[in-house]
Formats: sequence, C-alpha cells, structure tokens
Amino acid sequence: MCGIAGLTLLDAGLEPELGALLAGMLTALGERGPDSAGVAVYHGDGQVDVTKEVGRPAEVCERFAIATKRGYQGVGHTRMATESAVTRAHCHPFTPAEGVCVVHNGSFSNHATVRRRLERDGIAFDSDNDSEVAARFIAQRLAQGDDLRQALTEMAGAMDGFYTLLVTTPTEFAVHRDPVACKPAVIAQTDGYIAMASEYRALTGLPGIKDAKVFEPTGLHTWTR
Amino acid sequence: MDTVTAAGRPGTDLPEAVTQDTGTQDTGTGAPVITLDAAGLTTRAINSALRELPDGTSVVIMDPRGRHNLAVGLSNRIDVTVDGNAGYYAGGLGDGPDITVNGFTGWGIGENLMSGTIRVRGSVSQSAAASAHGGLVVVEGDASLRAGISLKGGTLAIAGDAGQLTGFMAQAGTILIGGDAGEALGDSLYEATIYVAGAIASLGADARRSELTEDDVTAVKQLSDRAGFDHIDPQLVTKVTSARELYHFTAHHASSY
Repeated sequence: MCGIAGLTLLDAGLEPELGALLAGMLTALGERGPDSAGVAVYHGDGQVDVTKEVGRPAEVCERFAIATKRGYQGVGHTRMATESAVTRAHCHPFTPAEGVCVVHNGSFSNHATVRRRLERDGIAFDSDNDSEVAARFIAQRLAQGDDLRQALTEMAGAMDGFYTLLVTTPTEFAVHRDPVACKPAVIAQTDGYIAMASEYRALTGLPGIKDAKVFEPTGLHTWTR
Repeated sequence: MDTVTAAGRPGTDLPEAVTQDTGTQDTGTGAPVITLDAAGLTTRAINSALRELPDGTSVVIMDPRGRHNLAVGLSNRIDVTVDGNAGYYAGGLGDGPDITVNGFTGWGIGENLMSGTIRVRGSVSQSAAASAHGGLVVVEGDASLRAGISLKGGTLAIAGDAGQLTGFMAQAGTILIGGDAGEALGDSLYEATIYVAGAIASLGADARRSELTEDDVTAVKQLSDRAGFDHIDPQLVTKVTSARELYHFTAHHASSY
C-alpha cells in the first residue's frame, strides 16, 4: 500500500493553513501507511522543508507540528514498507535534487538494474529503496535538460513496476500512474487549490471540497504555477 | 425522536446520529425514513444497524465523506440512499437491498453482488461490479478501469465511458456501456456479453465483435429502460463476446501463447 497526499495552492490566502490541511490528509491515509510518514513544504521563493520519520502518520505530524507549517505547496506520504527496511532514510519524500520531491505508491521490479546503471554514472544513493531509484532517475533526466513531463515519460520507459507517483518542483506538480493503474489516485480542483490523494476520504477536510471538480487521473498529469 | 438499536449490542441505543424522521423524507409509501449520520458512527455501527432493519425500510446515510465499506453484506430488502460520495466496496456482497449513491464511489462498487440493485448518480472508480453473481449495478457517469472484472452473472450498466480492460475475464452476465470503451475490452472473456453504444478503443485477447440478434436488441432495450438510459439506440450497439480460443490450453499450440 502507501498513501500519497499533495496540495498546490492557487489561493495565497490558504498558505497559513497548508500544514494543517496536509496533516489532515496524511492522518486520513494512516491506514495505508502505518510505519512512517513524510512531508515536504514549499514556501517563499521555492525553498523546501522536508520532515520524515518512522512512526504512525498522525504521531509524526503531531511530533513535528506539521499543522503549523505555512507554504504554497506540499507533498506527503504514508508508508507501508514492502521492498526495503523501515528507517528514516527509506521514508518518502525523496529529494534527489534541489527543489525536487518524489513520493511513490507501488513497487519497481527492476530497480536494482537501474540503480547499477545510475551508480555507473556517478549517482549516489541514500538507501536501497526502490522508490529512490525512480527519484534519482528523474533527477538525472532533469539535470540532462528534460522538462518534468519528459523526465517522467523516460522513467516510465526505463522502470518496470506499479506506480502512482507525485513529483513536485518549486513550480510544478505532476501525477503519474502506470497504465495498469492498480495504485489509486484521485484529484480535486477548485479555484483555491489542486489536491491529489490516494483516496477521496483524505480530501474531505479540504475547504470547498463539495464543489470541487474531482476525477481519477490516468497516465501523466502536470500543472505549472 | 426514536432510535434504532445497534445489532450485536443488545440494549444499547445508537447515538443521536441515528434518527427516525417521518416528516422530511417521505418515500410515498407512508413508511418512515431512517437517517444515519455517518459522521457520528463507525462503519460497523452503520452496517449493523442496516442489517437489523425490516424489509421495506428506507434509510438515508448522511455525510458519508468517502467512507469505505458502506452498506456491505446486507441481505434484507431495504432501500438505502448514501447521500454523498462513497469509498471502496459500497454495497458489496449485497443480496437484496436497493442502494443509491448520490455522488461518486471508489473501487469495487457492488463487488460480489448477489441480488438487488445499486445505482450511482456519479462516476465510479475501478472494478465496478467485480465478480457480481447477480443483481444490477447502474452507473450514471463513467466507470474506470476493469469494470465488470470476473463478472459471474450480474448486470452492469454504465451510461458513460468505461476504462481499460472492462469485462476482463467476465464469465457470465451482461455489461452495457453507453459511451466509449477503453483499450483491451473483454480481455480473456468467457461467456459474459458486452454491448457498447460508442467507440471501442481496442478488443482484448479472445474478445470479438459478434452479430447483433433481435434478442440482443430486446435485451439492450430492456436494460436501458431499467437503467433509465435514453441515449442508447439498441439497434446500433456493438456486441462483444468471447472467441473461445483461449478456453483450453492446447499443448501443440504452446508456442503461440
């Protein structure tokens, strides 16, 4: 399993509430990822604060006062480890390059092969997590000049497995699902925000959700601010 | 204000979230409509309360907020309205009730349905009516991937579009798609029948277009009428059934698998 939550604000008036909204979303996704949680908050001119720790999502949010964080964009993850150990280094979000955050629900089967290829290119890893391989791959493509959409398309060609990915930069918000789409995703759009979560119930605490345009994405969706 | 008693908790009244209201939601039968406020109840309390209701009762579940497993495993002939968006498996395993969802639903709406009806007034996520043995699931919006997967005799009517792999390994029953069908329609189909009013992106392995008979036209008309669809011309649907070439493993064809 694993749970993903993301929020990019279109209404600056919501920025003081970003942390509280994200914490609510992550808590609602606690059952999908009870072993650890992580949050990345974008604020100011694109600075990113990443908090991640082993523990139940509600407890992690409480301990690090996620609800008090302000910002214009946030990414969260609740983890149920299937491929590698439960440590802080294995928690999401992964930040493979400055400003880039990657969270993943799913599993990659050829991550060891892709990891060896990236290591031959001189890329260092923090963990043996399969999701980190995807994150490093995307960052390598971005460094080589791809835009985010190209980088994610290349990743889909190189990596074999199941995924719903949420990838953010200071100005972009991208959701990518594999063609079989067995890992869930739902998106809600209002004038105030674009929100993404693994399950709709994680979105029900957002302001104006009853009037939001809600849909299930397939393939690749990107938004640029 | 009367209260109903939670099943399995003799003598324990449910909280005030469970109310009988005879004034505001009359079904026309004169019978009272029971209201359950999901916000104040656990899913187990809701489903236990539903299970205890006598046949003919109407009940509205308020404020569902995408809750999973609402109105599952019911075998009484009651009328349930979920007034909002539901999560996974709404109405699953049902064997009798008529359920309406005033919103959209998550995965597995009506999974393993045995009898009764489920109507969703919005779109549904993946695996609608998965493994349904009987009953009718009506989707007034679109259905996502793998609708009707492993259908075992139930009926699924989708007003809008259906996603990839609709009817995957469906063994018996009927799927009607009022809009377009995604890729790999009817992949590894057994004896279920699929009717599509719109375009088909592609057929899956062992699925084929079949001749539309007068019986098919009648069946599509009756199902459209029952589902309340008025945008389907029964004469113009495409019928998809199994080519029956993958039923058995044949050793001397092994190289072609």
